[in-house]
Amino acid sequence: MSNSEHLANVMVQCFIDAVNDGVDLVPVVADSTSTSKIKPFVDLFPGRLVNVGIAEQVMVGTAAGLALAGKVAVTCNAAPFLMSRSNEQIKVDVCYNNTNVKLFGLNSGASYGPLASTHHSIDDISIMRGFGNIQIFAPACPVECRQIIEYAIRYEGPVYIRMDGKALPVLHDAEFQFTAGEPSLLREGKQVVICALGSVVHEAVAAADTLKEDGLDVAVVNVSSIRPLNRQRLVNQLSGADHVISVEEHNVNGGLGSVVAELMAEQGMTAKLVRLGVEDGGYAAAGDRSYTRKMLSIDSAGIVMVCQQLVHETLV
Amino acid sequence: MAVLSAGKLGPIFFVLIEYLFFIEIKFKSVEILKSYVIGDDMNPFQLDVNGLEKKARAIRRKIIRLNADSPAGGHTGADLSQVEIVTSLYFRLLNCAPDRISDDDRDIYIQSKGHAAGGYYCCLAEAGYFPEDWLPSYQHNDSHLPGHPVRQKTPGVELNTGALGHGLPVAVGLALAAKRDGRSRKVYVLTGDGELAEGSNWEAALAASHYQLDNLIVINDKNKLQLAGPTEAIMKTDPLDQKWQAFGFSVTQCDGNDVASIVSTLEGLKVEGKPNVVIANTTKGAGVSFIAGRPEWHHRVPKGEEIDLALKELADV
Repeated sequence: MSNSEHLANVMVQCFIDAVNDGVDLVPVVADSTSTSKIKPFVDLFPGRLVNVGIAEQVMVGTAAGLALAGKVAVTCNAAPFLMSRSNEQIKVDVCYNNTNVKLFGLNSGASYGPLASTHHSIDDISIMRGFGNIQIFAPACPVECRQIIEYAIRYEGPVYIRMDGKALPVLHDAEFQFTAGEPSLLREGKQVVICALGSVVHEAVAAADTLKEDGLDVAVVNVSSIRPLNRQRLVNQLSGADHVISVEEHNVNGGLGSVVAELMAEQGMTAKLVRLGVEDGGYAAAGDRSYTRKMLSIDSAGIVMVCQQLVHETLV
Repeated sequence: MAVLSAGKLGPIFFVLIEYLFFIEIKFKSVEILKSYVIGDDMNPFQLDVNGLEKKARAIRRKIIRLNADSPAGGHTGADLSQVEIVTSLYFRLLNCAPDRISDDDRDIYIQSKGHAAGGYYCCLAEAGYFPEDWLPSYQHNDSHLPGHPVRQKTPGVELNTGALGHGLPVAVGLALAAKRDGRSRKVYVLTGDGELAEGSNWEAALAASHYQLDNLIVINDKNKLQLAGPTEAIMKTDPLDQKWQAFGFSVTQCDGNDVASIVSTLEGLKVEGKPNVVIANTTKGAGVSFIAGRPEWHHRVPKGEEIDLALKELADV
């Protein structure tokens, strides 16, 4: 698709723009120069990148130190290793110390498909939600991604950005203005509200469009901002719906499914909720991305089927 | 009067030689201390050996009272082993002062062995970073002085630590930033020796060496004891000097409970292009006879008559 762009390319362009704007931004990678597609940045600003080798703990610790010295430190590596290998450095050096570090979890979810579960990050949102003091975002398209990163670089404090590993088409039009905390309504509808984040928002939108042709009125809410989150806005978007579905390429526990379930329970909302994603105790299947999504019913066909079952009360 | 035989003279002669040798070391150290240039952006105390020793005793007395007052125990042994190290830094070596805690050019000290927060707080209080009357609140509810250092709570604290193996990676970032920004600041990190089992230290050691961070000074408070017992028995770090050398560090050793030895060693670091490590050989619980070298004091605090006994031993003569 012509308007598709890889989110890592968007990220690198944002870094370049920031440095050109006078921001003292320092990317820190753990041998992940190709993963982060950072070459254009290195070519323009030789000597600015820090590469600590295959060593995620010191990658995050070093970023915290750079931030304490006044830099805007951004780490760029594969989300699964960032989350698990440098977990305590994120918790202590970044969150607890409140350092101005931006963590980019690249190729998140099941982006690495056939490379299997060592390379999948289906727990990153739940881990980040357990930590204090860090903002959490998951852009769904290049336009939104750019605005989230621009916001994150200006914001003083820890940020985690969950980045998909494939080129994604533009979802938001030119007038779109990202505001931290605001879930955006992409399709209006009253029978079912689908909440989604990241690249599977595209699956949700395709499902809603298909269902509309079948006469079903389905809304899609893009919850790209997990923390902060304007809870009242999301409540308003969910209220009145008979059914709610959450869709994420992430474990249903601790991720978007939990965010929505907690909100609905706390508000006493009575709509039935179905959480789609990696089931409790499970892993994402190793395989082609479309296969993995099919297995988890988070592809558009799966979402369509779940919606129809919900509306026709045939879902068990 | 008993007649001294040749056999008895031997040991006395040996002791005399040792004493002269000791005097010479002290003399040399004092000479080194005198040569230290005092500038505007320097340590405001600039204490000599005698002054540092007196401060160390005062800080030890504070450590005894602080731990005795703590409602949640303390790490008395670890607090005491590092006293001469932090005293030498805060009262002579660090280019930092209570009124310059946000100065971009100040030297940075990171207490990576965060469990010795008590000893760190006593030193900071003695140096005037916060009011001394905060000390009795150590580990009390919502205190300025929690059980591990928290920079948002305590003026002068540079990094929240307590989980081990965090100081050195962050110090690498700080030292790297200083190099790139052309700042003259130095970054000091104090680790325990048991703490060196944490792999993050060695990831950071690779990076420190790779980026030639000669403005980074790692001090290992090698008191040879950790929570479960002797470091040698739990997970030996020796030969520690060879390990650091292999990682590309310039390695020196000192007596970590002797201020003259610490100061002359730290002021003598000159190797360009290499990060520094100073292996400070210490005694856990140093300074108090019934605490020194005893593993049970890792997480014990003085009680009852122990408090008076310790304070008596630590009185200025």
